[in-house]
Parts: sequence; structure tokens; C-alpha cells
Amino acid sequence: MSANGWAISAHGLTKHYGKLVAVDHVDLSVPGGTIFGLLGPNGAGKTTIIKLLTGLSAITEGSATVAGYDITADPMHVKQRVGWVAAEVILDDDLSGWENLWLQAKLQRLSDWKPRALQLLGYFELTDRRKDKVGTYSTGMRKKMEIALALLHQPEVIFMDEPTIGLDANVRRMLWDLITGVNKQFGVTILLTSHYIEEADMLCDRVAIIDHGKFVATGTPSELKSRVKADYIELETSESVTSERLAAIPGVSNVRSQGNAWILKVASAEEALPALFHALKTDGIRRINVEKPSLESVFIDLTGKRLDQTGSDVQDYRKFYMNVRRSRQ
Amino acid sequence: MSTATRSLTLGATIARSKDGYVGQFSQFSGLYVRELLRTFRNPFVIVITLVQPFMWLAFFGGIFSTLPTAELDTFLLHAPPGTGYLSFLLPGVLSTGMMSIGMFGAMSTIQDKRFGFMKRILITPTSKATVYLAKALGSATRGLVQIPVMIAAATAFGVTLHGGPLGWAAWIVGLTCLGLGFSALFLAITASSTDWQTPGVVSNFITMPLMFASGAMFPASIYPGWMRAIADVNPVGFSANLARSVLTYGQFTGTDLTYLGYLALFAVVMIGIGTLLASKYLKVE
Repeated sequence: MSANGWAISAHGLTKHYGKLVAVDHVDLSVPGGTIFGLLGPNGAGKTTIIKLLTGLSAITEGSATVAGYDITADPMHVKQRVGWVAAEVILDDDLSGWENLWLQAKLQRLSDWKPRALQLLGYFELTDRRKDKVGTYSTGMRKKMEIALALLHQPEVIFMDEPTIGLDANVRRMLWDLITGVNKQFGVTILLTSHYIEEADMLCDRVAIIDHGKFVATGTPSELKSRVKADYIELETSESVTSERLAAIPGVSNVRSQGNAWILKVASAEEALPALFHALKTDGIRRINVEKPSLESVFIDLTGKRLDQTGSDVQDYRKFYMNVRRSRQ
Repeated sequence: MSTATRSLTLGATIARSKDGYVGQFSQFSGLYVRELLRTFRNPFVIVITLVQPFMWLAFFGGIFSTLPTAELDTFLLHAPPGTGYLSFLLPGVLSTGMMSIGMFGAMSTIQDKRFGFMKRILITPTSKATVYLAKALGSATRGLVQIPVMIAAATAFGVTLHGGPLGWAAWIVGLTCLGLGFSALFLAITASSTDWQTPGVVSNFITMPLMFASGAMFPASIYPGWMRAIADVNPVGFSANLARSVLTYGQFTGTDLTYLGYLALFAVVMIGIGTLLASKYLKVE
């Protein structure tokens, strides 16, 4: 950790892929021993930030220190002090659990790693399966093994990139317990990315909301939620309505369209809904969803769209990665 | 999870080996052993590695070995009377086999990129050059596995092998240099690629011309002038000529020592250039 107590510190962090700006002048300060969340939709720049902070990708502009070392000037010292848990589990399936730990020890140049490895296997309840190829492990076991690898060299910071994406509810909850346990037991700083609201809300001491490569808000989940003094009503209708008609409904202070849906900002959903039902034919309402103050409503308030939205954003995300690939060729 | 297992703490700091490039030996040895474990645990790779040169010997050599010995001796020009085409072919097949093993190393690297394992490696204090060198040595080692199998197969086909310990040692060192050089070349060319097809395309582009313009399969003396010019600077030909001198004729001459020197130079140059290219262009994903 650096002398000023920040495990991660970045100033004006920027990454360009050709003409694309994947990360745009991001400032970041993560205190040691905390869990910090980067919350944003796919393609927002979360993974790119991790790549920059771990030295996997070169910084276009700006500077960053991780565990007290400058990531550009001293990347090898940073890499000795960070662990990484990928969105997709990345292990060598041809090797056993023990051999994966052995390889990690070799890559981190650890000379007396076996007691630590045995401790970690015990902690993650993998001791009995350590001689089996990891290709035969269940999804939960593979995730545990990946976290064990990340912890083997006693890192100061662990980067977790969408650690629970694609997992079923039970495994996701198990991982949440493990992440908070690892943070408390090992005193390690965790920077995790997620586009799951409840994950960031439950796990993170502080959260940065990121959209199109920029931080749009930073704070504790409570601080962020307290910023939004409004409810949001998401509405999808079968009949044609205009934004003017919706804006004229008593209590509605703002109207935004998102794909086939409308997002209405209201002071109180309880007071606005009767007026809404009065103004529109109830049988013309295909879907309605009320969002009370939450990180989701913070995101809507800041960006005008839902975090987990599909449709146009997914296209943008695919287009983004296609452009990234093209710019690298 | 029990309370007992939950009580894990950081404990004593784990010792590390030295910083700097000397410290990269730990990563190098780990990645090299990983290459070997992955190779020898994959039955398909072992079968292909072992069977490919054997099939060359059987099918390619089979055609010529049925010709009358007198014609073969004329065809092979300086071959000792009665040695046959298989004696001529064996050193050539081993050399061309070492040339193509670089393709497996390149495919292994692309697999690591596409499945994300390259990120796992490079997020540790491991340099791109170390990854490259471990892959190159892993490929060359895989190629050396062919030697005992080929010798056994050739003996079974009735080939008599000659040469003393010095000649054999020089031949194996030369073969290792050839494997290292071509592995380094393949890996350098494919360093920035993530396409599965690239190693195959590169292999066809490099392997086929160098195999035929080498004197590995036929005596270079029967080639047209332009092809002989390629054979004169082709390391596959150097390796085949060195092997032929030792195994077929039982000699180890000053010319063979020159061949060995060329092969060592080829390996050093390829590894040197490849390391520089890989340090700059090896893609993470």
C-alpha cells in the first residue's frame, strides 16, 4: 500500500483504441482493505480499467499507482502484489488443482508456497480434489480455485472482473460470502467490476458508476442512493404515446425514452401511479416497473437508462468490441 | 465452511526468488514444464508427433525402397552400395519433422490467448520474452521425442545405423538447434495472431518449400539450379546432411562441424530476433 493509504490511485487514466476512447480521464482512489466496485453496463470500460491497472494494457494518458508502485514505471512490482479473478474462469484444465497452484507459485517466483497452498485448499474446501484435473471441477469449485490462485502470493490488491457473471443464484451467493470473507480474513483490497446492482450494493464499501468510459458518480452505496430523491417508473405501452402526453401527467417531472419503453421520473410513485392509470388506458400498459431509490435509480438518474438494459446497448457493446478488434489489427 | 478453516490468516511472508531477469528462471521453468505436461497428457498430440514421421518413412520411403538397389545407388549418387532409400530418407525425415513441430508451439500459444490463459500468465511478474522462450523450448523438446521412435522404426525396416558417440551427440545437438530455430521462427511469426488458422497457413508456407528444397528427401545434386541455391542455405538441409554423414556413412568431418555451427547460429539468430519481436508484439488476447 502507498504511504498515503491508497491501495489504488489513478489520475486522468485514459485509454484509446484507435479513435475509440475506452476509458476517459478517470480519477480513482481506493483505500487499503476495502472493496471498491466499478458499476456499469457492458462496454462501459470496466474491464479496460482493470487491464490498465494490472499492466496488461498500456495507458494512453494519465498515471496510476497500485500497491504503492507506478504501473507504467514499475509494472513487475505491481504484478507481484496483485491477484486477478476473471469473468470467465481461466485455469489450465490439463493440470490438477495442485499443479495449477504450483504453476502460479512458479509465475510469482514463490519458493516456499506449499504450506500456504494447503491452507488455501483447506479454506476453500478443495483439499480432497487437489490431485484431480480442474477440468473435472464444478463451476463453483473452479471459481474457488481461481480465487485461491489469486491469493497464493499474498497480494495486496485483487482485481475481480465480473466475478459472478453467468453463475446461478446459489453459486453467486456463495461467491459473495467468499469475497467478503477474503476481504475480511486476508485484509486484501478488492476492486471488482459488476453490472449487477445488488452485487455492488451488498459487497462494496464504495462504488463508482461508469458509463462510456467516464465515472459519472462515486461514493458509498448509501451516499449514491441518497442523491436520488425521486422514484422512477418504467413503462411499456401497446398504444402509441408521446413524451408530451406523459410529461403532462401530474407528478411526472421528467420523461425519457429507452427502446420501446419510457422512463418517468416522479417525486413519489405511490402518488403518480393513480394519475398515470387515469391518463392512460390500463389495458394499453404492457409492462410497468417501479424503481425506488437504489443504485439502479442512481444509474437511471445519471445516464437516463437502465443498467441492465438490453437492445440498443448490447448492439453498442458488440460494436465497441468489433471496433476495438479492428483498431488492433 | 467450518469455523476452523475460516480462521486462516496471512501468516509469515512467503519468500520470493530474486528480482530482475535472473528471477525469470522460475517463470521460465514453470511454463516449460507446463508445456511438457500438456503435451504428454494429450494422447492426440503424442500420436501425431510420433506417427507423422513414421508415415513419411513408410509411405514416401516405401515407394522408393521397392526400386532395384543398383538404381537407387545411382539415384543417390554417393550412397554406399546397398544402403537403400530408407537409409537416405531417415535423416531427412527427422530434420523435416523438427521443422514442423514449431506449428504445435504456435497453436499452443494461440490457445492460451483465446482461452485467456495468456492474461493469467502476464498478470504475474512474467515477461513476454519468458513466455516466448518457454514455448520455443517446449516445442523443440516435443520434437526430440521423435528421435528414439524413428530410430526404432528405421531399424525395424532394416536400416543399419552407423557413427560414433561424438557424431551422434553432434547430430542430436544439431537437431535440437534446428527444432529451436524453427519453433522460434513459428512463434515469432504468430506472436500477434489469435487466429487458429495462422499456424497451419504459416506451416504450409514455410514447411513445404524448405522440405523439398533441402536435400532431405532427394539428393540436392539432382535439383535445378535455383532450388539448389535454396538448399545451400537451408538449415533443414544442413541438419539432414549432418545426420546422413553420421548415421549413413559413419563419419563426422570438418564439413559436418560447419553444418553444426550453422545450425547453432540459426537457432541463436532465430531466438534472438524472435525474443525481440515477442517482447513487443506478443498479444495478450
